[in-house]
Amino acid sequence: MQPEMLIQTLVSGLLMGFIFSLIAVGLNLIFGVMDIVNFAHGDFLMLSMYTAFWLYTLWGVDPLFSLPICIVLLFVIGWVTYQLIIKRVLKAPMLAQIFSTFGLMVFLRHAALLAWSSDYRAIKETLLSGRIGIGGVFIPIPQLVASVGAIITFGLIYWFMQRTETGMALMATAEDAEAASLMGVNSDRMYALAWGLGAACVGVAGALLSTFYYIFPEVGYLFGLLAYIIVALGGFGSITGAFIAGIIIGVVEVLFGFLVAPAFKYVFVYLIYLIVVIARPQGLLGAR
Amino acid sequence: MALLEVNNLTKRFGGLVANDSVSAEINEGEIVGLIGPNGAGKTTLFNCISGFYSSDGGSVAFEGKDITRFSADQVCRKGMARTFQIVKIFKDMTVLENVMVGAFCRTTSPERAQQEALKTLELVGLVEKKDVPGGSLTIAGKKRLELARALATQPRLLMLDETMAGLNPMETREAVELLRKINAQGVTLIVVEHVMEAIMTISDRIMVLDYGKKIAEDVPEKIAQNEEVIKAYLGERYYARS
Amino acid sequence: MTKERQLLALKVVAGVILAIALLAFPFIFKKPFPQRMMILIFMYALLGEAWNILGGYGGQVSLGHAVFFGLGAYTSSFMLIRWGITPWLGMVVGILIAVAVSIIIGYPCFRLAGHYFAIATIAAGEIVGIVFLNWKLMGGAIGLFLPLLNESLLNFEFHSTKVPYYYIILAMLVVTVFIAYRIERSRLGFYFRAIKNDPAAARSLGIDLTKYKLIAMIISAALTAMAGTFYAQYVLFIDPFTVLPLMLSIQMCLIPVLGGTGTIAGPIIGSCILIPMAEYTRVYLAGKVSGLHLFLYGLLIIVFAVFQPAGLMGLIQRYRRRG
Repeated sequence: MQPEMLIQTLVSGLLMGFIFSLIAVGLNLIFGVMDIVNFAHGDFLMLSMYTAFWLYTLWGVDPLFSLPICIVLLFVIGWVTYQLIIKRVLKAPMLAQIFSTFGLMVFLRHAALLAWSSDYRAIKETLLSGRIGIGGVFIPIPQLVASVGAIITFGLIYWFMQRTETGMALMATAEDAEAASLMGVNSDRMYALAWGLGAACVGVAGALLSTFYYIFPEVGYLFGLLAYIIVALGGFGSITGAFIAGIIIGVVEVLFGFLVAPAFKYVFVYLIYLIVVIARPQGLLGAR
Repeated sequence: MALLEVNNLTKRFGGLVANDSVSAEINEGEIVGLIGPNGAGKTTLFNCISGFYSSDGGSVAFEGKDITRFSADQVCRKGMARTFQIVKIFKDMTVLENVMVGAFCRTTSPERAQQEALKTLELVGLVEKKDVPGGSLTIAGKKRLELARALATQPRLLMLDETMAGLNPMETREAVELLRKINAQGVTLIVVEHVMEAIMTISDRIMVLDYGKKIAEDVPEKIAQNEEVIKAYLGERYYARS
Repeated sequence: MTKERQLLALKVVAGVILAIALLAFPFIFKKPFPQRMMILIFMYALLGEAWNILGGYGGQVSLGHAVFFGLGAYTSSFMLIRWGITPWLGMVVGILIAVAVSIIIGYPCFRLAGHYFAIATIAAGEIVGIVFLNWKLMGGAIGLFLPLLNESLLNFEFHSTKVPYYYIILAMLVVTVFIAYRIERSRLGFYFRAIKNDPAAARSLGIDLTKYKLIAMIISAALTAMAGTFYAQYVLFIDPFTVLPLMLSIQMCLIPVLGGTGTIAGPIIGSCILIPMAEYTRVYLAGKVSGLHLFLYGLLIIVFAVFQPAGLMGLIQRYRRRG
C-alpha cells in the first residue's frame, strides 16, 4: 500500500464527504424542525440530478448554470410535499408519518424508472472539468468544485439559521413549536420553509453531483440511506454535527473500501450507524 | 418496619437540584399527603421512587427491600403503583381493556383479568362505561380510569399525582370518598395535590416540599399553621405582614 | 333466536362456506395461474400477519423484515443442497437462526425511538443483503438452485402440480392466523397494545418493555422465516434479489398498512387486494412498463398513510360504527 494511494483515497473520500454533508444538512433541517424523517430525501437528490442532466442534454445548459434552477425547483418540490402530504400527517400516528415519506420515496423512484428507464446517464463535458495535481495527488476539478459548493452552501445555511430573523424563528420552532407560535412565529410557514430549504440543499448537491456521478433512478437510495446515517452520527438536530459527520463517513467509506474490500464498504457504514445510535443516541453533537 | 422508606433521596438535572436529600417513612395503611409549590419536586420524587428516574443519591426501600435501582415495571410488580399528572390512558383500548392491562400484572389468564378489572371498575364507578374507548371519557373519567387501572395491579402502595386537578367541587368530593374507600381496603396512599381542602381532609399526615427539600411534616392542622409552609406558598413578605 | 345468536350463527355458516371454498378451490380452478395467485396471496397474507405482530400490535415499525424471510430460505436451502437434509428440518433450523438474529438486532435497537428504529432495520437489512451478495458459499449474486428431487411431502417438492403447495401454504396461513388470534386475546396482545399506546404507562403497570418487544419480534421473525422456506421450496431458486431486498420488506409492511394494522383481517384484506394488482400489472405490462406496480404501490402507500392510516379495516370499522 503506497502512501500516495492512501492519501489519494483519503482526499477523494473527503471530497465526497462534503457532498454527503450537504445532503445530510438538508435532511437535518427537516428533521430538526419537525421530527419527521424524510425517507424521500435521496429521491429529491435524484430529481435534482436528472434536472441538471436533462437541461444539459436537451438545451446544453452547463450544470453550473442549472444550479439556480435546481435550487428553485427543489425548493418548490419540498414546499409542495409539505403542503400536500406532510401537513396532513403532522398529527397522525408515527406509522403514518413514516409511511407517507416512505411511499413518496417508492413513488418517485419508480416514476423515474418509468419515465427515464434504469439506464445510467452521465454528463460528459462540463465547463469546469479536468483535474489538478498537488504533490502526487490528483484532484478532479468537478469534485473540487462540488466540495467548495457544498461548503459554501453549508456556510450560507449556517449564517441564515444563526443570524437572520427567519432563521432564528426556524430554530425556535425546532426547539418548541408551541412556544415559538406564542411568540408570533407561524409554525406552518416554518415547517414549509424547512421542507423547502431542506430540499433546496439537496438541489444544490444534486446539481453538483451530476457533474461527476452517474445519474439513474436508484441513485437516491444509497445517498438517502447514507444521509440518515450521517444525521444520526452527527446528532439529529445539529447542522454542524451533520456536516462533520458527513466528512467522517465519506472518509470512512473509502478507507474501508480501500483497506478491506470495496464490496463491503457500506457494511461498515451501516454498522457505524447501528453502533452510534445504540451507544450514543444523541450522536456527536446532538442535543436530543 | 415502614412500608416505604426514602433515605436522603437526591436528584439533579444538570445544575438544578430537584430533590435534595429527601427522607420519609410511609407506614402501612396511612394516607400521606405531599404538597408544595409548583416546581418543588413532588413529581420528581414520585418518578424517582417509582423507578422512572434514576436517583443521584440516597436510597428507597419497600417492604424492607432496597428498590433504589429498580426499573419502573419492577417497582409495579413489587407492589407499588402510580398515576400520572397528565393522564396516560390507552386511547385505542376500551375502558375495560385499559383496566385489564393493569390486572394482567397479577395473572396471565384473560378471564381472571377481566373479572378483576370489572370488580375494580365497580369500585370506582365506571362499570357502565366499560366498552367505551378510553379516549372518549371526560377528564374526570380518564383520571378515574387511570386510578382503576393502577388499582388493578393490586398494589400495597398507591402513589397518586394530582388526581383531583381539574375537577369541580362535586367531582372532588367523590374522588375523596373513593380514595377513602380504597384506603379502607388496605391500600396505603401517597397523594400529591394542590387542592388544599381535599388533601387536608383526607391525609393522616402531610409532607411539604419546597425547592427540592422537605421543609415540614406533620398532621394537617399543624401544617396549616406552620410558618415555613406559609412562607413557601405565600412568600416571606406576606408572612412578615401577617 | 336472539340477535346475538343469529349473528353468531351467520358467522359460523359464513366461516364454513369460506373453508369449503378455500379447500375446494384448486379442484374448481384447475389452471396454474389462479392457483399461483392464491398461493402468493396466502403467502403474503402470512407475511403481513407476521409483520403485524411486531409492527401493528407492538408498534415497532420494521422495514427490514425481509432479513428473516431470506434467512429462512437460505438456511433450509443450504442444508438441503449441502447435506441433503429435508427442508422441514431446515425450516426449523431456519426459524431458530432467524429468531437468534432478531434478538441480536432487536435487543439493542428497541430503545430507539420510532424513526431511528425503522432506519436501523433498513441498515440491518442492507448489511445482511450485502453479506449474502458476497458470500460464495451461499451462491453470492448468482443465488442457490435447489436440487430437483422426487415429488414428495418429505422432500417438500412437487413438480407436476401446484396443488400440494396450495394446501401447505394455506395450512401455514391458518396456523399464523390462529397464533395471531390467540395472541390478541391473551395477555401478550393486551401488553403489545399497551406498549404501542403509551410505553410509559405500560411500564407503570408492570410491563417490561424490552421483554415484550422481544417476544413480538421473535414470533414475527419465526413466522416470516417459515414462509421463507416455503418460498424456496416453491420456486426452487433463491438469490439476494428475490429474498432479501428492501422492496420485499416494503411489501411486507404495505400489506398490513393497506388492510389495517393491528387487526387480524387487515393483512388478509391487504394481500387480497395488493397481490392480484401486482400480478396483473406485472403480467400484462411486463417488459414494457416494468415497475408500474411499484409506482402504484408508492402512490397507494402515500394515499393510505395520509388519508386512512387505519387502512381498509379502519374504513370498515368506521362504517360499522355508523351503521
